Amino acid sequence: MLLKTKNLMKAFGGLKAIDKVDFELPSGEIRGIIGPNGSGKSTFFNLVSGVYDPDPGSYIEFNGHDITNEPPHKIGALGLSRTFQLLRLYQDMSVINNVMSGYHTRVKYKFFEAVIGRKKIWDQEKEIKDEMMELLSFVGLADYAELNASELSGGQRRLLVLARAIAMKPKLLMLDEPAAGLSPVNVDNLMKIIMQLKDKYGLTLIIIEHILKVVMDTCNIVTVLDHGQKIAEGTPNQVKDDNAVIEAYLGKKMNDEEMRKALAV
Amino acid sequence: MEKFKNIIRQYPFLGFIIAYLILLAVPSIFFTDLYQSHLSSLIFINIIVAAGLNIVKGYCGQVTVGHVGLYAVGSYTAGCMFMYLGSDLWVTLPAAIVVTGLFGIAFGIPSFRLEGPYLALATLGGGEAIRLFIENGEFFGSTYGISSISQPVIFGIPFDTPDKYYYISLPVMIIAVYFSYSILKSSIGRAFMSVREDPISAAASGIDIKKYKILAFILSAMFAGAAGAVYAHLPPGYIHPNNYTVIEMVTFLAMVVFGGLGHIWGGIIGAIIITIVYDLTRPLYEYQLFIFGLTIVLTILFMPKGIGGFIDKIFIDKRFKEKKVEEGK
Repeated sequence: MLLKTKNLMKAFGGLKAIDKVDFELPSGEIRGIIGPNGSGKSTFFNLVSGVYDPDPGSYIEFNGHDITNEPPHKIGALGLSRTFQLLRLYQDMSVINNVMSGYHTRVKYKFFEAVIGRKKIWDQEKEIKDEMMELLSFVGLADYAELNASELSGGQRRLLVLARAIAMKPKLLMLDEPAAGLSPVNVDNLMKIIMQLKDKYGLTLIIIEHILKVVMDTCNIVTVLDHGQKIAEGTPNQVKDDNAVIEAYLGKKMNDEEMRKALAV
Repeated sequence: MEKFKNIIRQYPFLGFIIAYLILLAVPSIFFTDLYQSHLSSLIFINIIVAAGLNIVKGYCGQVTVGHVGLYAVGSYTAGCMFMYLGSDLWVTLPAAIVVTGLFGIAFGIPSFRLEGPYLALATLGGGEAIRLFIENGEFFGSTYGISSISQPVIFGIPFDTPDKYYYISLPVMIIAVYFSYSILKSSIGRAFMSVREDPISAAASGIDIKKYKILAFILSAMFAGAAGAVYAHLPPGYIHPNNYTVIEMVTFLAMVVFGGLGHIWGGIIGAIIITIVYDLTRPLYEYQLFIFGLTIVLTILFMPKGIGGFIDKIFIDKRFKEKKVEEGK
């Protein structure tokens, strides 16, 4: 198992954002996570990537390492990369620097070598830059490399955060609503790029997405969360017909008796 | 020309050696009196401080207003070592760098919890506390300051006049700027910038935020310490607590902001311009603080990335347009 959580819990005050979620993800899979707003999808990402500390009793394992209470940068260094729902681009840095800062964990030279500025450093920096330019042209942003990230359009920004997350050559990539706010054509384009990158770098993916077409078309297995609990898991087709899922999205089907009761109260 | 550029890119220190050689020749060609040498030394000292301040404020985004306190620590480490041990610049300079670096840790720790204006207040208090501590300490010469600090002697030649001291402050400045260049151009500089822009996503990229914050404070403190030591030995070798007030801090800030926050040459451009302006406006002493405060506000309003960023932007936009035109064809 690449990623495993056991009894994962997180409460904000009295609200149980994540309630006893057991999650297992084998290597090479594309996993979708869906659920209504406020069901704990992003909280799940934040717990796994270390942004929040899980409540006592939880256990998270990534690639054989216990990462339950590790800080985010250590989890990142183990090869777990993620994107954010609100992108969190480095607005005031050039596009190429955005991507190159994602390379951080793979930089080989030591601190003091950098201070002294040996030739080796500049050679390596050039290699990094070439590799990152290649990545940028793969996602189609090579022409914009020198511009500020804040000058990009919404769709380009989504590509840029994707490139930044890939730059560290992760084992597991967690995408938090990668296609939010894109037009259908752009969604298809983005998903095509994501799939190409997956094949190129041998990634395992977890995708949170509200556009169900994306989830149904690309994911092998879909996990459904509601009120912090895992209510269903299975292939897209199984999940689609699951009663609990339909209930979570559309509400409960009531007979006349129940309806009368509900209205009277 | 292209070949030359490539060589410089591979061996950046060659560029610094060329700059050093040019600046070595400057006094004998252009300078007509001692005051110009003195002013140049001041510019070099300010460049060192501004280069350091650019690391912590421009690149790492930590608002520190106590930097002048660190500069004072550097000066007084050198001054006290001279007063009690009779040490020379060659001993006091490394000592000042180390001691100020340690003070830098103390200034950096609040940055783990505080941000923006709150951090500014904490560091402002720290800087002022250092100054008051010095001013009220007999050990540090209190309000009398420390006077006639010695100048270094090389091969029996004393470097005790401004025109000779130029050749002492110049190499220190070149080395400091070289270090700041190679730090900021490497992955460390990028890590600083990403901590400034978005700590949460920096951490997700595997960057240890606390480590880089404290590193920025230590490095910039070391720069301030070096500058302070060189300043202490600057002829006539006199330091006084009044040289380390908030007014000085505002000029340092004006240098970095005006030159370009987060621009690799920002602090240097700013230090040159602001030091000269500071000197020209000496007759208007009462208005100096007003002038520099206004400079900071206007720069942030109309040219947020300072002169350096402004010039860069022109070239980047031009290159981008050319690329688009090429594609159009």
